[in-house]
Amino acid sequence: MTAGAVRQAPPSALRLVRLHAASRRLPTAVALLAACAAGLRAALFGPWDAYGALQLPLVFEAGCAAVIAVTAGSPFGEPERATGRWLPFLRLGSMVALTALAVGVLSAAAIGTHLSGGFLDVLRNVAGLTGIGLLCAVAFGGPLAWTGPLVYLLAGVYGLYTDWHPPTLSMPWIWPARPPHDVGGALCAACVFAAGMIAITVRGARDSAGA
Amino acid sequence: MTAATPVAPGPLPVAPRAGVAVPGLARLLRLELRHNAMLWLLPVAGALFWFNGYREIMALPPMWNLRAMTLQNRLLLDLTIPVTAAAAWMGSREGRRNVADLVAGTARPRWARQLATWAATTAWAEVACLACIAAVYVMTARQASWGGPLWWPAVVSAAGIPALTAIGFAAGAWFPGRFVTPLVTIVAFFGLGFGTQAASGDHSYWQISPLTAGAFDIGAAPGVATFYHYLPDLSIAQVMFTTGITFGILGVLGVSSALNGPRLRRLAAVIAAAGLAAAGTAVALAGTGRLDPHGMIVIPALHDAASNQPVRYTPACSRTAIPVCVHPAFAVFLPAMTAAVGPELTEIAGLPGAPARISQVAEVYQQEPQNGIVSLAGVPGGSTFILPDQVPGEPGATSAQFAGDLEDTLGLQLIRDVILGENASAVAARPSQAQLAVIAASVRPGSVWLGPSAADANAPELSGRPLLALSSPAARAAHRFAALPPDAKHAWLAQHLAALRAGRIPPAQLP
Repeated sequence: MTAGAVRQAPPSALRLVRLHAASRRLPTAVALLAACAAGLRAALFGPWDAYGALQLPLVFEAGCAAVIAVTAGSPFGEPERATGRWLPFLRLGSMVALTALAVGVLSAAAIGTHLSGGFLDVLRNVAGLTGIGLLCAVAFGGPLAWTGPLVYLLAGVYGLYTDWHPPTLSMPWIWPARPPHDVGGALCAACVFAAGMIAITVRGARDSAGA
Repeated sequence: MTAATPVAPGPLPVAPRAGVAVPGLARLLRLELRHNAMLWLLPVAGALFWFNGYREIMALPPMWNLRAMTLQNRLLLDLTIPVTAAAAWMGSREGRRNVADLVAGTARPRWARQLATWAATTAWAEVACLACIAAVYVMTARQASWGGPLWWPAVVSAAGIPALTAIGFAAGAWFPGRFVTPLVTIVAFFGLGFGTQAASGDHSYWQISPLTAGAFDIGAAPGVATFYHYLPDLSIAQVMFTTGITFGILGVLGVSSALNGPRLRRLAAVIAAAGLAAAGTAVALAGTGRLDPHGMIVIPALHDAASNQPVRYTPACSRTAIPVCVHPAFAVFLPAMTAAVGPELTEIAGLPGAPARISQVAEVYQQEPQNGIVSLAGVPGGSTFILPDQVPGEPGATSAQFAGDLEDTLGLQLIRDVILGENASAVAARPSQAQLAVIAASVRPGSVWLGPSAADANAPELSGRPLLALSSPAARAAHRFAALPPDAKHAWLAQHLAALRAGRIPPAQLP
């Protein structure tokens, strides 16, 4: 390897990251995450009753998770897998970065307002919902990865509803209904997030004919 | 390579005639039905409804009004995610698979092909919706003690499905990207689920939401649509709104594509204008609503005065010392009621001023500022009563709470009227200590009752303060009297009621 080749390595790595991001529509996803945060910010200014205040953040968290999961789909399929040595790392990096970004922008959107559950709630819910989405991406393909977060959204909204109308759903698997500092709910969300990350890193999203 | 064998000319392709158009469209619809995403989401829709709606609806008391109105409030929201997502997925199919140019050359106009796909998606979604309605209604029919199905809540839910599929389908057709399906689904869920947050009072335009089954702050209440007919005014406006939205969006979808040709686009424009006009009119009508005394929303332009007549029924009565008669829809609560106030009934039966029978009457509702609503007994008096707002089975209500509420309202009313006499209301401000002791000892059998809770708005007026000071002679007398069995209390009251009413008995003389 020559000195010139060493000097060229960083630009080629950056180019690889940029091409990977472009192939997954990451710029669009970032814009949509920002739109979700803006929507949450706008909604938090409205007058909400107890249900609305509790359930509102979960809707936007599920939207962010669905957007992240959909980006997992690859438009290239087998050729990319056969030649992309760095592909697992790119997948892992992009998903972690998007999840962190989603948590960050949603938390930032709530600054100066009252966000039910606060930062910990956002972190737990976005991570768990993203994990569900990534598992769906592995199982059904990127274009259908939204199914998991959206279906789970309804279960989470109902779980929050039962906090007011017993019998309360106390299972930790319905973690949006648990308090932000609840260890059981956080562990479940973390397990799902970890499983989703491992699955998407190792296997990638399933190739889908419907993409 | 060999020369191609000449092929005998076959029959020339025949241009499609008007007579084969319908079979062609039917075949297209059949193909779309077989290859539709909603078909795969049917189990998901069923599971979501079971988890979110069905279990809670079936836990409600078996009353048609409660279950049908709760169904309207829950079903469409539960189906929003699978239905809107499937429609968006199907609407974005041509763009997602990059075959829009390929199919543009087919015989059917683009709008006709899109309508076939939308219709197939809607048909499967309606199958899910009707199956959920059927499950609830069949089970309720087997359990309810009175009445029949309320169809308007089911019609509103079924009419909301095409609107959801139209919204999803149009979004998918216009923006066929990978993100459109989740985003339009989230937006539809947010709009439907949180759209009524801004509602205020009975004149709110927001009650046009198909999830709104009645007046805000009443919703599905036991006393609504039992003594009086279910008023379809708001339901008609909601069906008009969702149908208008459906036609409006589908019309705009037809107008938006230049491939449809000028005549078809003009037709689509007319449909869109008519649909949007109908939706706008429905919203305006909802804004003219007002709460009627029976807890339903009346829209003057849609109201049928004949539905103001009370429902005829034969009351269900208990076999207690004083019969307790309720509307037959409430017959399921009769055992709990007689268990709760049975001791009071035994205690006062046959005494001067005791009713020969007590009957449940309809509540009268009044709209207050914002979303506040108060309910009162329609026919106040010693022989009538209304049931507590919360009956066992409703979310958060328990049998013990129901019994306690009954004792605090009906039980107190019965004892108060007998102990204080005919002018109970007039003298309520200054009853004697002995009278208070007897009342406190009789409202909750076996214990001394100190007064209604602050949250119990239906409790009869008595003193506005705790009945007895805890360590007073009257309190000690109340504890002695409360320890007596109902028959002994009855025997003592039969002998001493006149003196007690006249204030001639001090607390120390209570047994």
